[in-house]
Amino acid sequence: MNALEQRFGDPWDEQNPVGYRAIMAADELQTTPAAGERLLSEYGLGAEFVPTELGGRLDRLDRLVTVLRAVCRRDLALTLANASPFIAAVNVWTAGRTDQRHRVAELLLAGERVAALYHELAHGNDLMSADFVARPAADGRLLLTGRKEVIANVQRAAALIVFARTSDAPGQRSHSQLLLDKASTALDPAAYLPRFRTSGLRGVPLSGIDVRDFPVGADAVVGRVGAGLETVLRSFQLTRLVFAGSAIGALDAGLRTALRFARERRLYGRTALDLPMVRATLRDAFVDLLISDCLSTAATRAVHLLPSQVSAYSWATKLLVPKLLMDAMNRLSRILGAHFYIREGRYAIFGKHLRDLPPVVFGHASRAVCQLALLAELPRLARRAWASTVEPPAALFRQDAGLPPLDFTALSVSASGDALLAGLTTSGPPAVRPLLDRFVAESAALRADCLALGPRDVSMAASPAAFALTTRYATLLAASAALNMWRHSTDPFLHDPAWLEAALRRLGNGIGLDLPGPTGSTHERITTELIDRYDTRRGLDLAAAPIAG
Amino acid sequence: VPQTEPRAALPAVESARWLDEALGDPADPGTVLSYMRCAELERIGEFPTEICAELDRLGLPRHYVPVAYGGALAAYDEVFHLMRVLAGRDLTAAIAHGKTFLGAASVWVAGAPDQRVALAREILSGAPVSWGLTERDHGSDLLAGEVTAVATPDGYRIDGEKWLVNNATHGRFVCVLARTDPKGGPRGFSLLLADKHALDPDRFRCLPKVPTHGIRAADISGIAFDQATVPPGALVGPVGGGIEIVLKSFQLTRTAAGALSLGAADHAFGLTVDFLGDRVMYRRRLLDLPKVRADLGEAYGLLFAAETLGWYGCRAIHTQPEEMSVLSSVTKYLVPTFVDEILGRLGDLLGIRAYLADYADGRFARLERDHRIVGIFDGSTFVNQNLLINQFPALARGYRRGDPAAGAAVGLAAALAQPLPPADLGRLSLAARSCGLTSALASAVAEVGATSDAPTAVAALAAQLLVATDAVHEEMAGLSHSARAVPPEAFDLAHRYALCVAGAASLQVWLRNRSVPPFAGSTLWKDARWLRAALVSIVDRLPGRRLDRSTVYTELVDAVLVDAPDGRASLIPTRSAGAAR
Repeated sequence: MNALEQRFGDPWDEQNPVGYRAIMAADELQTTPAAGERLLSEYGLGAEFVPTELGGRLDRLDRLVTVLRAVCRRDLALTLANASPFIAAVNVWTAGRTDQRHRVAELLLAGERVAALYHELAHGNDLMSADFVARPAADGRLLLTGRKEVIANVQRAAALIVFARTSDAPGQRSHSQLLLDKASTALDPAAYLPRFRTSGLRGVPLSGIDVRDFPVGADAVVGRVGAGLETVLRSFQLTRLVFAGSAIGALDAGLRTALRFARERRLYGRTALDLPMVRATLRDAFVDLLISDCLSTAATRAVHLLPSQVSAYSWATKLLVPKLLMDAMNRLSRILGAHFYIREGRYAIFGKHLRDLPPVVFGHASRAVCQLALLAELPRLARRAWASTVEPPAALFRQDAGLPPLDFTALSVSASGDALLAGLTTSGPPAVRPLLDRFVAESAALRADCLALGPRDVSMAASPAAFALTTRYATLLAASAALNMWRHSTDPFLHDPAWLEAALRRLGNGIGLDLPGPTGSTHERITTELIDRYDTRRGLDLAAAPIAG
Repeated sequence: VPQTEPRAALPAVESARWLDEALGDPADPGTVLSYMRCAELERIGEFPTEICAELDRLGLPRHYVPVAYGGALAAYDEVFHLMRVLAGRDLTAAIAHGKTFLGAASVWVAGAPDQRVALAREILSGAPVSWGLTERDHGSDLLAGEVTAVATPDGYRIDGEKWLVNNATHGRFVCVLARTDPKGGPRGFSLLLADKHALDPDRFRCLPKVPTHGIRAADISGIAFDQATVPPGALVGPVGGGIEIVLKSFQLTRTAAGALSLGAADHAFGLTVDFLGDRVMYRRRLLDLPKVRADLGEAYGLLFAAETLGWYGCRAIHTQPEEMSVLSSVTKYLVPTFVDEILGRLGDLLGIRAYLADYADGRFARLERDHRIVGIFDGSTFVNQNLLINQFPALARGYRRGDPAAGAAVGLAAALAQPLPPADLGRLSLAARSCGLTSALASAVAEVGATSDAPTAVAALAAQLLVATDAVHEEMAGLSHSARAVPPEAFDLAHRYALCVAGAASLQVWLRNRSVPPFAGSTLWKDARWLRAALVSIVDRLPGRRLDRSTVYTELVDAVLVDAPDGRASLIPTRSAGAAR
């Protein structure tokens, strides 16, 4: 069991100060459990965001996902309240000067928070339109004016990263990022906006700032002036992957809670778990969790192995995984019936996860933004990358394989190759070969459709059919990830084609592929694995690592 | 351009209009039912007492009481539209007040004549009626109920606890399902109408309010009886008739519940269209982006499919009561499911504002939270699918047998402007022999093909629907399983069956009303725009490769914005009044 999981202890234990009962109690007070904040601080969560060369523990991005997944399994509000500094930090690692990097590392290692001020309500995810402005003053300093809204931790953070307009010209070179160290540049308390109350994530202190001609030194700029957006386009590739991959922990908890309920609930003279539809619903959610982790894991490992290709994988993961998670949670809620609606009692955590998941997964980038960004990449990938047959490296799928060091500068603003899609071939276990034939044909069809796209088809004014290409692409990537996970796994369950067949069918149905043959007769194998993992306290993701419960 | 004519002559629509106007402008904080007050009540979790009193003052309870007993309930589609208007302002208020309609249904279905008159009098004077069915450990499994009622010389002695009951605390009456035969079974339960004012206060207690994610202001609680005695006259229907009466009452309440979902959808559409019309991103108004329009249009397609099904279902209580075991489950399954999907889409379009408590009084998040209860109460999604599955053999036989006479009753139910015969609740049945909508589908499809004003696209969609319906019934006939081990495939089949029924309802409603005022000539009805979108949204959810038919959706949005610029669209032209203010 990993160290964090061990510290967290059994979530079902009603005496556990970081158990589900305590988490629900804190949620009622619109906060996060104090013991959870303390625990993460003692564990040194901040060090997980700091690269090893700066004294932290961040050497592998997939490890960070594993750590945060454990926090998500507990409480998504606790996660966002404590992991949002990663968003700020990555931008500094990607573009900051040495002194800025050391300062942010120092703060995070000391358990301080750094807030990420990108969002403005008037512009949402459209950063190019951000209005918050930094104007040069006569003395060489910069004067900040504007509002940043719905920002986590802004008040209690020791430093802020602010995304600001530094040129009035339209386009991609008009914004910069600024690092404000409160130790030297404290904000007037009146600059902070009142707390934004939200329906989900009630425990996260969300606020903002409103400043007028607030002076900061010119040395606050992170990286080059005008490179703010480009930095974001690189660094957010990582943050999207980390948050989407971590959120899988919420479905893990939801699935576990639904299974617990199905076992304990007696209906029509037996347990709910004996009802075939209940079993099927649990199993489908488990398969969706595995699919999510296949794509998430491959894309996250690609940051190390294929950094120049990550842009597309990151958008695709952010597009597909949150939807799989939400849909699965919604279906699972039918098992719990009225119990998912009740904020107290043994199963209450399910309703909290269900409520908190959408703002976590859509907050950072909405579906439309993901689709638009991905759509912009597809024509070039279709022209240049998809004709190649270079298969992905095995290490992309082998969780036990080593990874080259994380190189923030190797990321590319747009993807220049696509080994993951090339990994979608017809060579698989006999049981799924007819399915793979359809997927490979779909891949060819997708390429043809993307080649036919004109410049207008990849703008915000694109047709719904063009937008649909992004979902097809993300789905094919997930299919490839699942196929290759199966191929490279040595785990008896993961190397059995039962789950792969189910995964391919679920993916295919999601994009309307007309798949041949009857659904597999091996479904019970999947359900048995789910129940076994639950009973032996192992995670429901690919790693199946021991957990506290 | 605001439409002044034609004015609807439909009584159901007229009373909805009356309520809409009587309730005033919800955006005005001075109104009793204002958005601001609803937000505050939710925040502090306080029952909407004043709002319910206002609804009483306006005479809404009359509409829960059949005309025969002194009320104003002449047609069930009238209650449906009233509840939709109320839910369109605040779902919690609709659930809190409308509960009386649910609680009293069993008495209209099976009560003795004097019992009906007596309860009617109480409801008309403002007494809330609650329905005590579920228990802590048994959820939807009513046959496992442990509350008992034992006959005594004074009446019945009730023991045990009903839990998760809407208005158990605020309600004056509770219609309690209790075990009267220790062995239980389908004839082992009876219904007792307990008047809390007449009960010995030491013999019952109301249970604490249950904290819920949504409808936080509502009274979701329970009631525990400890040797509480009710008089012999409290018995509703025969001893042992409880389960049957409840199941028949569900046929009314499950159908009407669609109104709650539609109201939530109306509210969400209003908020979303308002936002999209104002919001500029990437230098374009969001509402003008093709993808946004298509997503919005698909949501409207689902809305019209849901509206048609719900409206038709309520009228069918009058015209085909024998079929309500099918229609009520189809409605209770599909309408909340569609509206959940609508809310998901609209939430995507609203983005972060969907979650902000301070944006538009937090209304979107609140209605989304509130709406999740609609899929649960009075039989969850699974329960209703199961009820359909149980009827598959009969429905498959009925479909094969055909029913040449079905067209007349279906036509009357679908002709929205036609007066309805009184509802004969004695004709409700636990097992339908067939479903008129599907029986009449083939002839409806032929009629569409022969109709000069039906666009060819509609004929093609209708034909596709018929093929799917044939296939579904074939699969239904071929399905064999034990009642205890219903396979997941059967649930999928129930889903597809429900889609086919909804498609058939849309087709019928269009055929019977397209040239009739107030529908004829409105932008939504022109070129069968709403029908095309409703059919596409249904056909796209049936198996098979999806085509890109997004222009159907974008054209629908064009029409919606003409007929209902505020986004609160309905098949009834210029329905919304208060909401538009």
